[in-house]
Amino acid sequence: MLKLRFDKYRLMELLAPVLGFLAALVVLLIIAMIVGETPGNAVRAIIKFTVSSASRLASVFSVAIPLFISGLAVAIAFRAGVFNIGVEGQYFIGGLVGALAGIYLPLPKFIHLPVVVLAAMAGGALWAAIPAILKITKGIHEVISTIMFNNIALALVNYLVNGPLSGRGEQSLEPQTRKILSTALFGKLNHWFQAIGLNVPNHVYLDYSLIVAIIMGILAFILLFRLRFGFEIRAVGTSIDVSRYSGIRVKTVQLGVFLISGAVAGLIGMQEIFAIRGHYTFEIASGLGFDGIAIALIGRNSPIGVIFSAILFAFLKQAGYGLQLYTSVPNSIIYIITGLMITFIVIINEIVTRYIRALRKKEAA
Amino acid sequence: MDLSLIVDFLFKGLEISGPIAFAALGAVFCERSGVINIALEGFMAVTAFTIVWGSIAFQSIWMGLLVAIITGVIMSLIHAVATITFRVDQIVSGVAINIMAIGIGRFLSQNIFNQETQSQLNPYLFPTVFGINSFAFALIPITAICWFVLFKTRFGLRLRAVGENPEAADTLGINVYLMRYSGVILSGVMCGLAAAVLYPAKWINGMTGGRGFIALAAMIFGRWHPVGAVLAALLFGYADTFRIMFETKIPIPSQFVQMLPYVLAILVLVGMMGKAKPPAADGIPYEPGE
Amino acid sequence: MSDTLLAMEEITKVFPGVRANDGVSFDLLTGEIHALVGENGAGKTTLMKILYGLQKPDSGTIYLRGQATVIRNPRDAIAQGIGMVHQHFMLVPPFSVLENIVLGEETHAAGVLRMETPAEKVEEIMRSNGLPVDLSVSVAELPVGLQQRVEILKILYRGAEILVFDEPTAVLTPQEVDELFKTFRMMKEQGKGIVFISHKLDEVLAIADRITVIRRGKVIETLQHSEATKAKIAELMVGKPVLLEVKKEAVETGSAILEVRNLRQTGERGNAVLKGVNLTISAGEIYGIAGVEGNGQSELVQAITEPVKLDEGEIQLQGSSILNWDVRARRDAGIGHIPEDRQRFGLLLPFSLADNLTLGRHHRPPFVKGSQWIDSAKIRETARKTIQAFDIRTPSETTPANALSGGNQQKAIVAREMSFEPILLVASQPTRGVDIGAQEFIYSQLLEARQNGKAVLLVSADLDEILSLSDRIGVMFKGGIIKEFDRTEATREKIGLYMTGGEQDA
Repeated sequence: MLKLRFDKYRLMELLAPVLGFLAALVVLLIIAMIVGETPGNAVRAIIKFTVSSASRLASVFSVAIPLFISGLAVAIAFRAGVFNIGVEGQYFIGGLVGALAGIYLPLPKFIHLPVVVLAAMAGGALWAAIPAILKITKGIHEVISTIMFNNIALALVNYLVNGPLSGRGEQSLEPQTRKILSTALFGKLNHWFQAIGLNVPNHVYLDYSLIVAIIMGILAFILLFRLRFGFEIRAVGTSIDVSRYSGIRVKTVQLGVFLISGAVAGLIGMQEIFAIRGHYTFEIASGLGFDGIAIALIGRNSPIGVIFSAILFAFLKQAGYGLQLYTSVPNSIIYIITGLMITFIVIINEIVTRYIRALRKKEAA
Repeated sequence: MDLSLIVDFLFKGLEISGPIAFAALGAVFCERSGVINIALEGFMAVTAFTIVWGSIAFQSIWMGLLVAIITGVIMSLIHAVATITFRVDQIVSGVAINIMAIGIGRFLSQNIFNQETQSQLNPYLFPTVFGINSFAFALIPITAICWFVLFKTRFGLRLRAVGENPEAADTLGINVYLMRYSGVILSGVMCGLAAAVLYPAKWINGMTGGRGFIALAAMIFGRWHPVGAVLAALLFGYADTFRIMFETKIPIPSQFVQMLPYVLAILVLVGMMGKAKPPAADGIPYEPGE
Repeated sequence: MSDTLLAMEEITKVFPGVRANDGVSFDLLTGEIHALVGENGAGKTTLMKILYGLQKPDSGTIYLRGQATVIRNPRDAIAQGIGMVHQHFMLVPPFSVLENIVLGEETHAAGVLRMETPAEKVEEIMRSNGLPVDLSVSVAELPVGLQQRVEILKILYRGAEILVFDEPTAVLTPQEVDELFKTFRMMKEQGKGIVFISHKLDEVLAIADRITVIRRGKVIETLQHSEATKAKIAELMVGKPVLLEVKKEAVETGSAILEVRNLRQTGERGNAVLKGVNLTISAGEIYGIAGVEGNGQSELVQAITEPVKLDEGEIQLQGSSILNWDVRARRDAGIGHIPEDRQRFGLLLPFSLADNLTLGRHHRPPFVKGSQWIDSAKIRETARKTIQAFDIRTPSETTPANALSGGNQQKAIVAREMSFEPILLVASQPTRGVDIGAQEFIYSQLLEARQNGKAVLLVSADLDEILSLSDRIGVMFKGGIIKEFDRTEATREKIGLYMTGGEQDA
């Protein structure tokens, strides 16, 4: 079934995230000291806020959900060699389309929920479609086009939410849409966790988006490793020349994987829109798309790796809040640390990969 | 129409285009040497802070500018070391720096000015000429210098060679690494200059507002040519100025003007494939002997 | 008389697992064209890389004009008068010819480029060497022959006295080869020394004063022009008479499988690459295409195996036109292809051998259930059978392809294509870079295919191969098949004549 090849090379590959994380931690402690906080205090504050109780741990997982979906979306595309940097814009658009389905379609609950999920996926895929088509018809590199589309998306939703789709006046003065119907809202799963003995208080969001995330993860795994299309995705990502020679329809694969990636990206904002807020606003957390790029790479573009990578990122985010709460270290430091950690990890990754390659060559000789 | 309003518009537009234009010039050097740089936004976020800090600390805007340039260079060195020496993926490095930059300004502001979201006022500024920050006028000579350096000097020729065919340049004895480092560092320097014309009077969290990405659009729209990139930046800047000054008088929602740079860049890419090509080796890490 | 320009003595260079150069000694006189000949991987390129400063020898000395010297990098080599024209041009396409020539050696005043002096100097070099090129044109617009000329001008501009050419004729048309050899003779007269690396024995015999044969990193022998014959050189290169004993049984041919009619194609640079190719191959026959590389063979193979833009013409497989079919459709219809460049096109190296052995049929039952669900058990089972049937040496079917030796990788590609039981097998340079053992294996496979009623299109620059295997032979020259032979009436001399144009003037 799941054959995990564990040889010494795999272990070495895992070295990069571990070392990178530790290096970043060291920098964090140094900066904490500069700010006048003892390293011990800093570490204690982090542990207290992230792992000291089931509730705290659950918060980390809660934060990890959108990060996982984001990393997954990017990773799927990366597998085919497609750089979908447009995840950022795709989740804003996808979230909006999903919200619209949630606001304007009166449906019974057990239909409404899948519909909004599909709507969000459709929105994300739609936004990915134009850069995808530009890539396969005109050969325009997707890095450039998707960055452009990200910014277009932000301006577009800004306009729509401020204008035609505004639900202002109903609830608050903030620019936002009307409220999402209760049949589409993502309920919480906390009582399930409580039922099995994990005390997850109600202010922690472990909601239906967790189910969505798990389903997407499983589907991604099946796609990449059990379906023929997934094989072709991986083939195209390995060598376009060989793929073309063997009859694989490269452009179809690239288009397909781009749309799938966009569809998954559309779900990133689900937790915030459908569970936390109950309406759509362009003020939903931004930057998750870019986080996803780093998460995917650190997770080596595999669904399982992305899980760990997303949890790592979530851990860091929570650590930042913990520091802010319990010490004099401000939250802003976590951005610096996260950025440094990504840089450390990818650098160490390169060094390790090259070392492994040299070792392999020596072995074959 | 009111003549003074038009004159006002002309000068204000130059000032508003300034940061985008300088950043776009930096992007041109960087990408022409073969390194993709999506971290211009992050560079500018930091230099926008350090120019305020430096000016206040040394009581001179020129010192502030120097500090900003040095900071830009430091930020660019992170990208350079990661992508050139270690051959890390250039997009990821850019993403990492953008994330880092979000925290740097806030963190420093907290510690230096005791306020996380804005700094104190900086009274040391460039003289105001014709109602705008006079540093904006430096754009014109600097653009000319950039054009000259890129196309008329030995350095520029080698830089461009390295971005098109680094193997060839290497066999001719050109130091590919050095050239690429230069390209990346120049983009850091230019982001320092961009800060000088953005708003050196005060740092506010998030003040760069995506200009780093607009600069990329300008570079593309300007087809990786310094003069083209600056003209594109001016186009975008003036469009934005028009929106700001005449918002209430035009029926187009402001967000569509915001979108303009990006839509134009896409149209350029679609309409002029073949001519609008990035440097051939752009984005590909260089591995000697392989 | 001639002095010794260059002497490389006892050069040894070892890479992990292979002795690329093993005590190699090589020298070059002034006014001499010295050919360096050997199979792929014999060590010629490594030796020249050492000369050019791209590699450092593990031991040995280089003498330039009698003085021992160290060459640390290409800059050093250039400074000492050594120039190299690489097989793959080192040009910057958007730059002008002049810019490409001066790059790295620019004339400047405080950093500002000064192009007038270089332009004059280049004009002079062009005059005295008979190498005219328009300096202002961008290199991307030039035909390959002129691009190569720019490469030559580059090294002459830097004062090269020793010029190394690595497989320079691989990409040239026959006229361009003539022009190049004219240039060689002119430079020879000026006292320059030329090292000419090639595996094309006809050319080597036409132009070289001395011929050094390298095999497996060692110099086997250095021949003078007067004592060299193709057979002798080939023997030295390979170590034994080249013509393998091939047993061919008589096979009755069946119906026409492949029909190519009047194929015309214009190349990227506006020249005609296919000029009305006509060809018919029946079941149970091997049709060999002989010809010097670059006469349209690759384009013909490409037109048959993938959809390409043609000016005119028809290609039919068992009566159906395949012109608009994509690669998958062609494969599904039974076209198999052993690609010329197997490194680039043949295998997904990080994937398992089993996956690679089903690549191309992976989308059909029995390898998938329905149209999407992969049946990995079936894939592995089939792979095991194929591995055994074709004797591929590998620890298991799940081993990644990049862990196999080069020879076994080649075998795997051939095995795969054969295992799909194509009705038409297109084999392009199938034994290039392959050791003798694998070569025999591939020959036996091709003959077996023929036995089983397949049609085989064999494209090869190796005339002996063509003669050993083919039932009918077509000679390609300048984009067309100018003469067809039945095997019984074909001789080396006749074919060789047509390979260079036949009775017509070139």
